[in-house]
Amino acid sequence: MKKKSFSILLTALLTFSVMLTACSGGNKGASAPAETGGNASKAGTEAQAEAKTEAPTEIKIMLPLNTSETPPDTIKNELEKLTNTKLTYQFFPADTYEEKLNSSFATGSLPQVTYLKNQTTFIQMKDPIKDGQFWEIGPYLSEFPNLSKLKPEILNNTKVEGKLYSLYIGRPLARQGIIYRKDWADKLNLAAPANVDELFEMAKAFTEQDPDGNNVKDTIGIVDRNELIYGAFKTVSAWFGTPNGWGEKDGQLQPEFTFPQYIDTMDFFKKLRDGGYMNQDFAATSKTDAVKMFTSGKAGLYIGGSMQDIDSLHKDLIKNVPDAVVDTHSMVAGPDGKFAQWMIPGYNNVVLFPKSAIKDEAELKKILAFFDKMMTPEVSNLMYWGIEGVHYTVEDGKAKPTDDKELIEREVKGYKDSVIGESETNGMYESYNTLPGRIHAEELILENVKVGVPDPTAPLDSATYTEKGVELQQIITDATYKYMYGQIDKAGFEKEVENWKKRGGDKIIEEYNAAYKK
Amino acid sequence: MLIYSTASSIPKSGGTLHQYETERKKIMQDVTAQASTAQPVLKSSKGKNEVKRRIWRNRWLYVMIAPGLLYFLIFKYLPMYGLIISFQDYKPYNGILGSNWVGMKHFNRLFSEPDFLNILKNTIILFGLNIFIYFPIPIILALMLNELRGNFFKRIFQSLLYIPHFMSWVIVVSISFVMVTMDGGIINDLLVFFGFEKINFLLNPSWFRPMYIIQVIWREAGWGTIIYLASIAAIDPGLYEAARMDGAGRLRQVWHITIPAIRGVIITLFILKIGSVLDLGFEHVYLLLNSMNREVAEIIDTYVYTAGLRQGQFSYSTAIGFFKSIIGLIMVMTVNKISKKMGEEGVY
Amino acid sequence: MVEDRSFTGRLFAAVNFTLLAIIALITVLPFLHVVAGSFTTSAELAASKFVLIPKVWSFEAYKFIFSTSTIFKAMAVSIGVTLVGTLVSMFLTSLMAYGLARRDLDGRKVVNFLVVFTMLFHGGLIPTFLVVKELGMIDSYAALIIPSAISAFNMIILKNFFQNIPEGLEESAKIDGCNDFGILFKIVLPLSMPAIATISLFYAVTYWNTYLTAILYLDDSAKWPIQVLLRQIVVLASGLDHSATLDGVVPPPDQTIKMAVIVVATLPILMVYPFLQKHFAKGAMLGSMKG
Repeated sequence: MKKKSFSILLTALLTFSVMLTACSGGNKGASAPAETGGNASKAGTEAQAEAKTEAPTEIKIMLPLNTSETPPDTIKNELEKLTNTKLTYQFFPADTYEEKLNSSFATGSLPQVTYLKNQTTFIQMKDPIKDGQFWEIGPYLSEFPNLSKLKPEILNNTKVEGKLYSLYIGRPLARQGIIYRKDWADKLNLAAPANVDELFEMAKAFTEQDPDGNNVKDTIGIVDRNELIYGAFKTVSAWFGTPNGWGEKDGQLQPEFTFPQYIDTMDFFKKLRDGGYMNQDFAATSKTDAVKMFTSGKAGLYIGGSMQDIDSLHKDLIKNVPDAVVDTHSMVAGPDGKFAQWMIPGYNNVVLFPKSAIKDEAELKKILAFFDKMMTPEVSNLMYWGIEGVHYTVEDGKAKPTDDKELIEREVKGYKDSVIGESETNGMYESYNTLPGRIHAEELILENVKVGVPDPTAPLDSATYTEKGVELQQIITDATYKYMYGQIDKAGFEKEVENWKKRGGDKIIEEYNAAYKK
Repeated sequence: MLIYSTASSIPKSGGTLHQYETERKKIMQDVTAQASTAQPVLKSSKGKNEVKRRIWRNRWLYVMIAPGLLYFLIFKYLPMYGLIISFQDYKPYNGILGSNWVGMKHFNRLFSEPDFLNILKNTIILFGLNIFIYFPIPIILALMLNELRGNFFKRIFQSLLYIPHFMSWVIVVSISFVMVTMDGGIINDLLVFFGFEKINFLLNPSWFRPMYIIQVIWREAGWGTIIYLASIAAIDPGLYEAARMDGAGRLRQVWHITIPAIRGVIITLFILKIGSVLDLGFEHVYLLLNSMNREVAEIIDTYVYTAGLRQGQFSYSTAIGFFKSIIGLIMVMTVNKISKKMGEEGVY
Repeated sequence: MVEDRSFTGRLFAAVNFTLLAIIALITVLPFLHVVAGSFTTSAELAASKFVLIPKVWSFEAYKFIFSTSTIFKAMAVSIGVTLVGTLVSMFLTSLMAYGLARRDLDGRKVVNFLVVFTMLFHGGLIPTFLVVKELGMIDSYAALIIPSAISAFNMIILKNFFQNIPEGLEESAKIDGCNDFGILFKIVLPLSMPAIATISLFYAVTYWNTYLTAILYLDDSAKWPIQVLLRQIVVLASGLDHSATLDGVVPPPDQTIKMAVIVVATLPILMVYPFLQKHFAKGAMLGSMKG
């Protein structure tokens, strides 16, 4: 009796757990064939109805999720219609995208189209790429009219051992600059800084001359954060004339931190910090906290981020300081009077095509055809701006997003980061801007490129860098902050550079130079 | 359980039970005394029979353990072949079978890392803070909560104390940042107001450890009390009654009844905690880590993140994990042995 | 309990109460800040240092997160997984813990050691992924439950509690004709309610916090639990992801939204504890009855 009732309980529980597996497993089993079967039949009926149309290509796409939730199918459905495809978009949180990528890769379950997350993940993937785990697509590009428009210099930056395996998601080469409080500058009779000395003076004046007029010394000049590259440091270092990542010295490529201009930049920030003209805790300040200091009206200069961020910074700032005026600026001359801007390699992310998922050339070509269509204005606008009349309107030949920001956030944003190419190559609309500072920013971005400095190692490969470049870079990053905080001097910094060289840096220099010569 | 409330009480094998009773006690002492030496017992034919009978008598217990054991075998032991890759140059696309064997290469790399000793030291110090500062706090808090008069406040306080556990480290760290930053943080503003110098809590290496352990205490102490409160609740109230009859005050009751009653749980938790000696919360430390405090804040887990995961070095990070596990195992075995010597149960 | 009416007794009680009140206040203030922050405007949140009572009330953040069904779906998934998972886990864990709690069981030491060993050594993400995949659990909720059905820690703790039950009780039950299952469900479990409540809470919280396994094992985002949404918003809003930085395209969500999601995702699990609290007293009561 007891045993019986117990075994009933046990069986119930077990069945329950089996059911859990079974039903979801069944689900999976059912949905997979249903997909193919359903499509096949759908395709079949469609084929009967319109004998001319080809069966839609089925493509599974994996990409990082940069918004709070997975977008609904609104855009996807349109996209399928335009490209005659049956798409499965699998979004995974950007934060843990590497884990997902690695485990899918190691278990052979990457989908046909695999977006990486950024350049760092791309570097990680170089080994398996070399090993032939992904399709080389270089030879096929010429077959596709739109794909062959992709910029050769950027494609070149994404090549691995001289071969092309990926399509790139384009980004303007140099969007960084200053976003600053124009109203403060006007009040203190300061013009936009023409050179680094004026920049320093502006930071000083913003700190000491009570620009917000509340008779309390509660403002600071520059707000920076715990990031050398996308924070203020690298942008300012370029103004000082430091090479972008690597520079040529006596015919040899040398890392930027061996150049005197790098030291000058550190001195510049050290002076700013010692004087209290920037936030004291910048080595521990996150982006959000840095932005908050600017939007709460405490800091006057935000340097290093994309100048296009001015829209969102302005939006939040005027909630706190309704009469604030902001502007952008980027042409800051170095001590020698020359202008320079560092440039990214022109891409933000790449797409790879795993051989484990794409069986043959024919399938690969079908998938490439989808991306070829994506590079038409019609499709790229859909993915970047949404549906015309719903998510945006066209004004002066430019796209003006609707005021319903939430709608865009939900339905469009998720796809924005997956559009191949850039507006010059895929023909999508430029954005229609109203904020003067933003219009200025767009002009400056074009100006920046004219004095742009590329990273000479972007198309090059170094095995040691792939293996421990990030780890070694930490030595330099730490030393740079310590120098700016006055904890080590020039000799101490050079000792750390020696340390970097000893622990593998020398080999990186050697390998890059060997590749550079080729 | 409801199903059993109506169950009849027909004796099943009741008759032989008393016979076994005394034997069982004896054997039990044997088993515990001889620890894992089950083998010699099996050798003697007399013992063999006893064991057989005992096993048969306890057959239902084995049935009870079976699903759990199966679970551990399938989901914990089966994947352990993955540890092999710490002796390989593992390439995910080649699989474990196809990857090259490299022997101790990754371990050698770890031990020859110039910062290795410093990182190990940092890890052990943080662990020490966890053991010596954090560990006793939930016990004290639980005892304090237990001494509260009236269930109302007891419940309210308990419910409030355990809330922080649900706030992720990201939130905890960002709230602390807002409070202690030199750029307008409340605490530094107060320091200035009272005429003190500002303190660089975030960047000064000597403030890293206090910040770390304060945050651990803030987030986990209340949550940690739950387990102790549960064991306090299981104490027979009659014991307190008797103690009061003897005229024992509250503190003496705590000392002579409550603490001895929860000692078993304390020791178990302590042993389990010891095993995680090199395995501290990655996310928390990583969020507190910056270029200025790295010399004290870099621990093994954050190092693995920079050196391994971020660069896809599966083998190296697995090797480091392996190393951590072995140290943990040694620690657990040692402490377990000590606790058994002291007459405690131990965890195995 | 009888009151200790002596002066020192009262002083002790007063000091104890005050101390605990202060501690409770300190622990709860940041959470209140989050709650208050979720009910105010992002402007106020940016302007003031530490909001505790909003000057300007705003429900925008909640309107935003509740404007689609995503959060409801995710919440339903989390509640389902937590309930079913806790039941399954408690069932398997109590069986195993009870078996191992019996001191006369041959081989218990070996099994105990095997269990402790798994707390120290892990095969890693990928081999575990393969096991889950081979068992056909990918993209099913079972993948969130079965592979983490028993926590070694919880099992050991529960075993510890079971061991403290006087053996005499079990023996007398045996004489009454109960077999081991009967003893467990009829005697041991009812006597261990504080422990059962505690371990259930631990499991519930673990299941509620399921994050990485969901990302790894579930490709279908419609099946994701609330933590994925919560973490995604918190990480985006905290600007932790350096890689997305030079990207003007995606400004982070508002801080108020971050706080609202924290509140929404935390409240359900916060409510579990007060509900379980009564069992702590009950255990004591049963304890007295047996005497």
